[in-house]
Amino acid sequence: MAVSRRASRGRSVVVLLVLTAITLITLDQRGTGTIDTVRSWARDIKAPIEDAANNVTSPVSDWFDGITRAGSLKHENATLRKQLSQARGDEARNRNAARENKRLTKLLHLSFAADVPSIASRVVDGAPSNFENTIVIDRGTAHGVAKGMPVVSGDGLVGRVTEVSKDRATVLLLTDREFGVGALLQDSGEIGVANGIAGRKTLSLDFIDAAAKVKKGETVVTSGREGGRFPPGIPIARVSSVQKHAGDLQQSIALAPLVDFDRLEFVKVLRWPTTSGG
Amino acid sequence: MIRRIRLVLLVITTVLLQTSVLSNLKVAGVVPDVVLLGVLGVAYRSGPETGAIFGFAAGLTLDLFLRTPFGLSALAFSLTGFLLGVLQASILRTSKWMIPILGGVGCLVGNLLFRGFGTLVGEEPLLSGHSIRVILVTVACDAVLAPVMFLFAGWAAGEGATPRSRVG
Repeated sequence: MAVSRRASRGRSVVVLLVLTAITLITLDQRGTGTIDTVRSWARDIKAPIEDAANNVTSPVSDWFDGITRAGSLKHENATLRKQLSQARGDEARNRNAARENKRLTKLLHLSFAADVPSIASRVVDGAPSNFENTIVIDRGTAHGVAKGMPVVSGDGLVGRVTEVSKDRATVLLLTDREFGVGALLQDSGEIGVANGIAGRKTLSLDFIDAAAKVKKGETVVTSGREGGRFPPGIPIARVSSVQKHAGDLQQSIALAPLVDFDRLEFVKVLRWPTTSGG
Repeated sequence: MIRRIRLVLLVITTVLLQTSVLSNLKVAGVVPDVVLLGVLGVAYRSGPETGAIFGFAAGLTLDLFLRTPFGLSALAFSLTGFLLGVLQASILRTSKWMIPILGGVGCLVGNLLFRGFGTLVGEEPLLSGHSIRVILVTVACDAVLAPVMFLFAGWAAGEGATPRSRVG
């Protein structure tokens, strides 16, 4: 008797919890501001703990990273040594340009969107879940960051701000399935949309006419269209493969992002659109 | 009272561990589900009702830091905690392999519920190649971590608490 009463009460509790959870999901889907506010507070409260945790774990993660990537690091080291000796040869022929480019890249003095005001920030967290492609940066509304602002690194487009609290912002990476950006092929001039693909580190470039001449290795930049959500000319990716099938209206184009998301440490949030409308 | 404080500490610790520490120490690109493991540990020690309530609270706390709909983790973890508690009550004999198996199976169920309900509200499809790969790798990691997390959860659930068995 006591057992069945206990079991019955347990089931009642579960039903109540399930109904409560469904109610919360429904409220969030409808865009209730209260839930966003609570999330924002939670992130701000977690921020100092996060900073302390990063100070402790960054040597550990570097060590861990070194172990798990030992094989690729060796290969990459050999490749970089070869590239370095080639670069030394190029430097002799064009020393001033090579030195200036290296200095600019190191200081994140962007060669694109140079006239757009920006906020420098540091990546403090990866995605908290296995089904998100996001990073968290250490700047928020207190520093002028707002939802929708583009985020870039020295190599190109990283993503856009999707959530922001006082001291933190969440950036949706361009490899996320929910990310899309108007894109321009620099050589052919074709315009399409670059979309993230779930579970992959590549992007797809859609709406490119089947007759367009697209080359492997061609650089893709932001087109600056689709309502001006991104400034034009920000490097996004390179074409990694092009497939055409008879009868198709568009080509199947895969893009390799220019940014190495596994090594992202410093980024810039572009204050876009600018208040001057630029 | 002490038990409730411990359970609150368990929620806070596991959420901070998952969102601030382990998110930077991924294994094969995935983050272990330490919050879900905590729920499973509490359910294993304290039964289905406590497992469901703790799962709801832990899931809701985790939802504060995720982009998925608020309440989705609470729903999945609450049901998973309840189911594990019911399953555990029917186990007559335990062995040393029971905890890693329960940890792995529990996390599989939790992830399937999370992705399944998530698909209903427009998240990534449950049966996509990416989802399946992530779930499988996560289950393997969680099975390895389960003995440690169950120990911690057992402490939080109450010193001397033993897994509830079916009253005959």
